[in-house]
Amino acid sequence: MQTPLQALVRSQSFGAVIGVVLMLAVFSIVDFSGWWRSQTLANVAHFSAILGLVAMGQALVIITKEIDLSVGSVYGLTGVAFITFEPQYGVGGAIILALLIAALVGAVQGLLVVKGKLPSMIVTLGGLFAARGLIYVWTGGSVNNFSQAARINPLTRLFGGELFGIEAAIFWMIGLCIALNIMLWGTRFGNRLLATGGAQDSAESRGVRSDHVKIATFTLCALLAGFAGIVTLADKPQTHVTLGDLMELEAIAAAVIGGCLLSGGRGSLVGAVLGAFIITSFRYELIALGAPSSWFITFVGVVLIVAVIFNQSLARRAGHSV
Amino acid sequence: MSGTPLIQVKNLQLYFGAFHALKNVSLDFNAGELIGLVGDNGAGKTTLIRVLCGIHKPTSGEVWFNGERVEKFHPKLAIDQGIETIQQSVGLCDNLSIARNFYLGREPVRRIFGIPILDFKKMREMSTRVIREFGLRDNVSADDEVERLSGGERQSVKIGRAVEFKNRVVIMDEPTNHLSVREREHVNELAVALKEQGLLVIYITHDIFQVHKLADRIIIMENGEKIEDAATSAMTADALEEVIRQGGRKVEKREAV
Repeated sequence: MQTPLQALVRSQSFGAVIGVVLMLAVFSIVDFSGWWRSQTLANVAHFSAILGLVAMGQALVIITKEIDLSVGSVYGLTGVAFITFEPQYGVGGAIILALLIAALVGAVQGLLVVKGKLPSMIVTLGGLFAARGLIYVWTGGSVNNFSQAARINPLTRLFGGELFGIEAAIFWMIGLCIALNIMLWGTRFGNRLLATGGAQDSAESRGVRSDHVKIATFTLCALLAGFAGIVTLADKPQTHVTLGDLMELEAIAAAVIGGCLLSGGRGSLVGAVLGAFIITSFRYELIALGAPSSWFITFVGVVLIVAVIFNQSLARRAGHSV
Repeated sequence: MSGTPLIQVKNLQLYFGAFHALKNVSLDFNAGELIGLVGDNGAGKTTLIRVLCGIHKPTSGEVWFNGERVEKFHPKLAIDQGIETIQQSVGLCDNLSIARNFYLGREPVRRIFGIPILDFKKMREMSTRVIREFGLRDNVSADDEVERLSGGERQSVKIGRAVEFKNRVVIMDEPTNHLSVREREHVNELAVALKEQGLLVIYITHDIFQVHKLADRIIIMENGEKIEDAATSAMTADALEEVIRQGGRKVEKREAV
């Protein structure tokens, strides 16, 4: 048996844990009073939670050795659906319909990847454009808002409100992170998901339906992205056509920083959330320090490459073949 | 051995595109038999067993299992019917622990608050017993990932898994490749023990001399065809080797023996 410390060091998220510690140390040195303020931490935690939801779905897809480039568009499309359906179907109905759209997009992409034997990068790139195009067509480029009644609806508050001064998104992210971890590491589906990503031929030879696993995972990923969209808009109920633009790249970066290997079979949901925290923190702190906001993108790129080098060397040290 | 054969293959044809991989193969396999399936590379041995374990669907012809015609071909169905296959290159996921590999596809669960959660205790205990029985290094635990194991240890896990679950058919594809002499003997003893428990064992190898000592019957394949099907009591290993060497010219050869 491993001690908890050994388990942490061997886990895929160890690199991200070190990254968070280093980042917090640096931010404390350069901007102690600015960083450790409740306002800063609340904002960073809120946006980390939303990106974390999307990144966890991405992590699951990457663990099956696929990728989902459509999550940013699905996030936007689901959010737009949530706001647009509300006048007709009420808040609850709009949430269910919006999530059904997300699940449908995920399932169709999964089906195309599995049954069409197509590379997921191409299928979900198509999904990225298609879903984004739908947003433009649907909204006509206009901005939609919630009515006052919808804003104070209990369901809206449940997803977008606060509890003890902490944003609902954070509770949702933590709850789903626990549930998804149990699913990944503690259930039959999780074991088969890990096996499918690690060695698909071997998994299939044991009777694992890798096609079902992948379709379910793409659907789950799209649902998480859509849910993140709903949580975002329940907090600030206003749609715009660029909602979730480029979020897929941040989600992939978060998952990779968090220790997911694109070679499949290895990854960490907690790591993906930590990766989301690192990316969000950099964005916030660079702006706070007065750096031009465009520097953020460069920083994410640098952090991503450093993280990959670091995670690969950690994985090799643990004896994994990567 | 009376009654219907456990597995019956009738006029099996399999094409991969234009390539004719199995040519009109008909065979009977009985429970309690150890069958040596022999032939050169590309003879169709592995293709044949991949039909039996549900990976390939035949182009035409019939497969009967236990008196019932097999209509659907999928590894899961074959496993559910008790056909366990030990393949050369696949079967273990490097990223998973021995315990997780052991139960992959048939994971035991217990309900916690109504949710079926993997029964790690059972998975660990059972796989630990098997890996000790099969002589894996003492410092290897059931929680270790398979990628830590040597070639022989990997093979031991696969065979241990096949033996542990109460199966009716065990198909071994080159089971002694990459094994030390002692490990090889152990595997061969296991094959015989399984047969004696009443299982059908299909043992695939290049090495006619090795399998002749174990098997009740030898089937030789060549270019996708069955070219010989003889009891080991009826033909010596040398004679069988000559059949392989001569390819399709078995008739004259038999008369010479």
